[in-house]
Amino acid sequence: MATSPQPGPGDGVARTNLLLGGLTLVFFALAGLLTKNLWGHLAPKQNIPLVDRKFLETTPWRQTYADLVKAKEDLSDYDCYGCHEKNKPPPIRYDANQKIVIPKEHSDIVMGHGSHDRNNNCFNCHNEANLLTLQVRDGRQVGFDNIPQLCGSCHGPTYRDWEAGAHGRISGSWDHTKEGQFTRLSCANCHNPHAPRIPTREPAPPPHPLRVPTPAAESAATP
Amino acid sequence: MSLPPPAPDKTSDAAMSRRSFLRGSAMFGGLTALAASLSPLRELSDFTNTEQFLQKYYKELTPDDMKQVLARIEGEVEKQYGVRPHVRDLKPMDGVEFVYCLNLTRCIGCRKCVHACVNENNQSRNPEIQYIRVLRMPHGSLDIDKAEQNYHPKQVPEPGFFYMPVQCQQCHTPPCVKVCPVHATWQEKDGITVIDYDWCIGCRYCEAACPYWARRFNFTKPEIPKERLNPNMAYLGNRPRKQGVMEKCHFCIQRTRAGRYPACLEVCPVGARKFGNILDPDSEVSYILREKRVFIQLKEEMGTSPRFFYYFDK
Repeated sequence: MATSPQPGPGDGVARTNLLLGGLTLVFFALAGLLTKNLWGHLAPKQNIPLVDRKFLETTPWRQTYADLVKAKEDLSDYDCYGCHEKNKPPPIRYDANQKIVIPKEHSDIVMGHGSHDRNNNCFNCHNEANLLTLQVRDGRQVGFDNIPQLCGSCHGPTYRDWEAGAHGRISGSWDHTKEGQFTRLSCANCHNPHAPRIPTREPAPPPHPLRVPTPAAESAATP
Repeated sequence: MSLPPPAPDKTSDAAMSRRSFLRGSAMFGGLTALAASLSPLRELSDFTNTEQFLQKYYKELTPDDMKQVLARIEGEVEKQYGVRPHVRDLKPMDGVEFVYCLNLTRCIGCRKCVHACVNENNQSRNPEIQYIRVLRMPHGSLDIDKAEQNYHPKQVPEPGFFYMPVQCQQCHTPPCVKVCPVHATWQEKDGITVIDYDWCIGCRYCEAACPYWARRFNFTKPEIPKERLNPNMAYLGNRPRKQGVMEKCHFCIQRTRAGRYPACLEVCPVGARKFGNILDPDSEVSYILREKRVFIQLKEEMGTSPRFFYYFDK
């Protein structure tokens, strides 16, 4: 037909019909494929578990004496004279290496404040004359609810940073001109006074990549 | 003399009817098949509606328009998630410019900020969209090319490594704003670079322009579980996004413009994150930039001048 120089009048109609028929067939085939979903959809989504709510917690990991008072909780741990005798400083015993022997009543205490045992004495901070208070080296007595004063007497730069808001945790309002709109955590909310180094913790899960990494890449990611 | 009634032209009529029959059936079949082949579009029916389609650019909305738009968004979110949100249009405050400081000495790489951010800002959980990327680098270097973000040890911090969370740096000269062809992203006067999610066309130029890999694209419809939806929303902030738009960290606009700290800061267990108004000389960020020994702006040589500073304690 293409070679014929002058196509007859019927050729155009026949060609149109052929074209329409062909198109119809194509559309029918397409419809069939789409309804049967023959070439499939995107790869199925991988199952990503929701992150554990413990990683969303904003509460500090320790409670201070002040927190316990505020929450009206059990303060029996701070009732020193329930066991100790008044006006009689508790004795401190040392082992052969000049390290403090922790009495079994206080077995939960780890003496880890300061390297090289430089802070190897209970009465650097506790007041032997009145166990219900703490003492600063210059003789001042501070209560259990006012620890930054005590800690700051040795850790001056850190105390300065903490007062300026650059050390430690703050929550609430960034506008500090509004009194009472923000909360500044105290030293003992994060640091255990007997072992102040912050312990290691479990990290939240890493991102889930769209492509599941091969075992080789995975082992490279783990140290 | 009367003419006989014209005999019906049987042949031509039969030829016409066959042709019209063929044509008709072809057209019918074709249209049916076309409709069937377009059926996947039905899934996109909630992709956009007329009201949203005709919505004006954020900066052209009058207060009355904005009221209607916020009501529409609240309605849409309630319909989709069954939770009635509180969507606000928070404007920047006078005399406030936000700055973020991050203490690299303190950060332990626990990734709590990453997930607090996702929870606050209604990011997609599957596929995951996270604004913060925590990079782990060996001590003694600051080579981002050698950083690892998929670390998963039993405990952090690991000896010999430090951690560097990277998120939107809220640059003074943001390259992402420069490349946007439709002005869907811009810098507000408190320093936060925001996105109008209803104006974004999803071209991803900004993602390519950002030297901090801070921008994220919604390749699929975001998936947020109802029970984790945060109903405190802002128009330029954490309202749920749709498929095909960009998103990124906006310093928790719904919190910070209402006077609160960002979510990543409040969750940080070691107090490594500091945030505040740099125009206030008594704020902690002013103190840090004034007093602390070293602070760096990530990729300082790019000339982007970030409002996000990294500093060290000792």
